[in-house]
Amino acid sequence: MALDPAKQLERNARLMELLARTALADQKSFAELYRLTSAHLYAVALRIVRDAAAAEEILQESFVNVWHHAGSYVAAKSQPLTWLTSIVRNRCLDQLRRREIDTVTMNDEEEGVMVAAEDPSPLEMLLSGADARAVGACVETLEPGQKQAIALAFFQGLSHSELATHLREPLGTVKSWIRRGLERLRACLDDAGVAR
Amino acid sequence: MNLRTPGRADALAAEYVLGTLRGQARQRFARLALSDRTLADAVRNWEERLLPLAEALPPVAPPARVWNAVLARIRGAGAARSSIWSSLGLWRGLALASLAMVIALTSVLLRPVTERPEGALVVVLAGSDARPALVASADRLGRYLSVKPVARVDVAADRALQLWMLPEGGNPRSLGLISATGVIRVALSAPAEDALRTIPALAVSLEPAGGSPTGLPTGPVLYSGPIQRTY
Repeated sequence: MALDPAKQLERNARLMELLARTALADQKSFAELYRLTSAHLYAVALRIVRDAAAAEEILQESFVNVWHHAGSYVAAKSQPLTWLTSIVRNRCLDQLRRREIDTVTMNDEEEGVMVAAEDPSPLEMLLSGADARAVGACVETLEPGQKQAIALAFFQGLSHSELATHLREPLGTVKSWIRRGLERLRACLDDAGVAR
Repeated sequence: MNLRTPGRADALAAEYVLGTLRGQARQRFARLALSDRTLADAVRNWEERLLPLAEALPPVAPPARVWNAVLARIRGAGAARSSIWSSLGLWRGLALASLAMVIALTSVLLRPVTERPEGALVVVLAGSDARPALVASADRLGRYLSVKPVARVDVAADRALQLWMLPEGGNPRSLGLISATGVIRVALSAPAEDALRTIPALAVSLEPAGGSPTGLPTGPVLYSGPIQRTY
């Protein structure tokens, strides 16, 4: 689905319109939304859960969810396909958690204490929106280990410990690849004007 | 959850979106993000950064049963609000009602076509009484549809007739305004066989003068008919 910017803008405008109509219970628009995005979202789910039946169920749940909550989509804050992708990915990752060991350390005592606000919330998300190719180009600038770890985590849904096993590297190394890789991605994308 | 360290909230948001934040930590983070705007914004920003990567995946068409299951589950919730345009019964009724007339008319209309090897597309647009009101036709390679009234069509001065393509499973797409009294040529974006390749039927709706303000039919469907192809 990687498109040139003009096509991408056109597609996003169409998807936004369809989401808006879906929020008004327009089944025809919802059907078109499904037709335009389901193959993309199914591919996302298949990679992560690696089981066709589970991926089908996640896709079904996600679209039922979209039907009921299309009104909560805020066009100024997210691109439509990103919003839909996040719904599917979160369902996939929630399902995976059952077979996972928590590998990110958290400090329970200070739950609820938040960092001071850094940036105001993004307003022109649509206009400054992410271009798949900009993200891809930034990924290319990562070191091989960082790139591999991030790609496996993102596309296959591998956890830190699964990455360590898969890449035959110590857990600490993998965690640091991910952390540094993400920091570097952020810097690169901020330079490219993606998100903020 | 220690989010006071500078950058910690953003780093956790990044791992949440990447998917490496798992288990209880993931649940807890998601819960906090519901009520904390800074966290929610950090998540959204990371989604905008990372999720476009997923567009690189080759699409995989899901089996039809997924959509059927979705439909079965949402039916009833909001179905009552769907418009006449989504009523399959209407289209079936109109299509069946006009079938006999289509067969009768096309045999007449297509007579000259046998001399032209390129073929043609013909649509007999009939009302719910199955009486043809308009006939639209195009040469297979032609760049326009000729639309001709074949019965008296009364349209108020402040109303207009608008011609629509009816793609399967999608919204009607306008072909433009047509006349109730004379032959109109409606321009096509491509040779007729391509412009109408995936379109099973056309319809005419009654709209305000100047046409539908929304880009979708707003008035009643007066006539419709399936596209007959002679090639």
